[in-house]
Amino acid sequence: MKKLNETQLQELEQDLNAIRDDVLADLGERDAQYIRRMVRLHRTLEIGGRVLMPFGFIPPVFVAATASLGVAKILENMEIGHNVMHGQYDWMNDPNLHSQTYEWDTVCSGDSWRRTHNYEHHTYTNIIAKDRDYGYAVLRLSDDEKWKPWHALQFINYVLLTVLFQWGVGLHELETEKLHRREIRWRDKLPFLKEFARKGGRQAFKDYVFFPLLTLPVAPIVLAGNIGANLIRNLWSSTVIFCGHFTQDAETFTEEECEGESKGHWYLRQLSGSSNFTGGRWLHILSGHLSYQIEHHVFPDLPAHRYPEISERVQAVCRKHGIHYNTGSFFRQYSTVLKRIGQYSLPDRMRLRLERANTPQAI
Amino acid sequence: MSTKDPMETMTMLSSNTRTKALHWLGKQLSNQSNPTSWLDPLLSEINPMWVQAYTPARVQQVIHETEDTKTFVLKPAGRWQGFQAGQHVNICTEVDGVRRTRTFSLSSSPRLWKAQGQITLTIKRLPGGLVTNWMHDHLEPGDVIGLGEAFGDFLIPDPARPVLYIAGGSGITPVLSQLETMAARDYNAPVTLLYFVRTENDVIAGEKLRALAARYPALTLKIVATNESPDPRFLTGSDLDDVPGLKARQVFLCGPKGLMDLANDLLAQRGIREDQIHSTFFAPPAPARLEGDTGGNVTFTNSDVQVSSEGDANLLEIAEAAGLTPQYGCRMGICHQCSCRKTSGTVINRLTGEVSGPGEENVQLCISVPQGPVSVDV
Repeated sequence: MKKLNETQLQELEQDLNAIRDDVLADLGERDAQYIRRMVRLHRTLEIGGRVLMPFGFIPPVFVAATASLGVAKILENMEIGHNVMHGQYDWMNDPNLHSQTYEWDTVCSGDSWRRTHNYEHHTYTNIIAKDRDYGYAVLRLSDDEKWKPWHALQFINYVLLTVLFQWGVGLHELETEKLHRREIRWRDKLPFLKEFARKGGRQAFKDYVFFPLLTLPVAPIVLAGNIGANLIRNLWSSTVIFCGHFTQDAETFTEEECEGESKGHWYLRQLSGSSNFTGGRWLHILSGHLSYQIEHHVFPDLPAHRYPEISERVQAVCRKHGIHYNTGSFFRQYSTVLKRIGQYSLPDRMRLRLERANTPQAI
Repeated sequence: MSTKDPMETMTMLSSNTRTKALHWLGKQLSNQSNPTSWLDPLLSEINPMWVQAYTPARVQQVIHETEDTKTFVLKPAGRWQGFQAGQHVNICTEVDGVRRTRTFSLSSSPRLWKAQGQITLTIKRLPGGLVTNWMHDHLEPGDVIGLGEAFGDFLIPDPARPVLYIAGGSGITPVLSQLETMAARDYNAPVTLLYFVRTENDVIAGEKLRALAARYPALTLKIVATNESPDPRFLTGSDLDDVPGLKARQVFLCGPKGLMDLANDLLAQRGIREDQIHSTFFAPPAPARLEGDTGGNVTFTNSDVQVSSEGDANLLEIAEAAGLTPQYGCRMGICHQCSCRKTSGTVINRLTGEVSGPGEENVQLCISVPQGPVSVDV
């Protein structure tokens, strides 16, 4: 990480606070209209998908219905649920868009998400052993973690995680690695498991029992379509999220360097530990504007549709302080994620030898 | 109610169970604790009167009462439960993207609602008031606002007893509702209204009041303009002494704090017991006090805990010191884990120094410092 002294950190804090204050002062009608438009689009797509699904015995209709429901879930999870639960729209004072009460269309309960994501991940971003989102305890993504033989097969873990992403996220708070190390007991996790069963049950009931049974003669088609929609959402959201912190240049941190850190240091860590990707307007919307992961991590509670507008100013702050602003095309960023998963599945000696072989020698 | 036939009870029970089952199913499918509002964003585009999250009410007419006071004639959606004369309602409306809730007295009689489905709110522009100014400037016939159910125990005595109203300025609104109701049902006891306004031009519903006094002989009406002469003419002891049978009257006070304090003193001097006096406040919130003047009584409503705090302790620290364990996360205003609903009172945002409004809104406990009494849903 770029080293800044206390004065520089203070200056960084002031520069970023200035951007934040400008946006806060400008919040209003436009933001309310934006999020309501997204909610309306979500409702329309979900209703459209559900209504069309029973007619899925006609192949093009099946594709349309599955895509419609899948995109509805993506919009609801990424642009609406994730952002609302960050408190981005709390100022609207609308009980249906409030961070503390919002419940989203996925297995992970809102409460569990607020604990593991809003608090753990956003406070301790990329601090190895404190940010459990770094590798989700199933992937080794840096040499801070000692190589073990099972890491050699971690690409399989990655594929499983991305296909079953909503269940993985739902079970994240179980902290299996701590259970495994006997730091915590199963008994401690009973309340969480109950919550998981309630919310997971609700989601499975809705998509895999209720709607198929409602349309009994075509139940297998509806079941297949709903599984497809969930799969589309799982693949897309896990891909977007992996591009946020596991790209080539996204940095990691140790507990020691973050002990008793200032707000300025927290800002610096968010800037160096996150990565963006570029693309068109709808790519950003469907990623919940996590394509602006850097802006999101610096200002997690500003309405996400504002990130594109402030990105230029954040980049200027980075240039001023000599901090690398990590961005690139979606495909470039994603390929570095896949590369990282592959690289760290190898023992360090083999990985380093390969890296040396691939680095052009300086003359 | 005990005469209900068993079949009817059975039907009611089963319809109750059915409602519950539907509600449960709605929650499973929509993931919302209030599933009926899931479609609101779409419905409000098609017809705002179909919204389910609150009772929508359409503005039918706007009447100019005085320079700074308007009466809004509203028609609430059919499911609204009605009210008694003298009660208030919460209205909610969106001003620049922010949903705002405010309480106003209903100024019409319940008879109008029963006969024509209409209610009226008579609202004065408050200097600097966000919602009252917005309503005056933007609310027009055809617009829709949200309405809560009526509440309040500022009610006409039943059975009839002699009544004295002391009202000031727009504090006349619940009294208007009661007087119309009394006149219509020929309330059988003397009724006196002492109505204080700043100038003759500030009289709200003057014609209506005079017409009421003309057709309802039990009513004695006295309108006093306090600021027409160089020396202000406030409520005096002799105003009260002029009221026949004062000691036997039920007294209803509604007006600015100064008038209410004065009236309470004068009434106490004349031996009127506290249980004879019914007050309702409508005054604008006190202006925010100076920075540095922080702390106050904090009520955690869900836990039924009340504590006082001094200095710049934030609500989260105060709650924890009182043995409560609200949700929290970063404790530095980032993660919104501790956001919760403030139901009343003023808080200062420790990060920005910004002073909140007095009403219901969401606050982050870890950066909110109370300024005077505060209630939060913790």
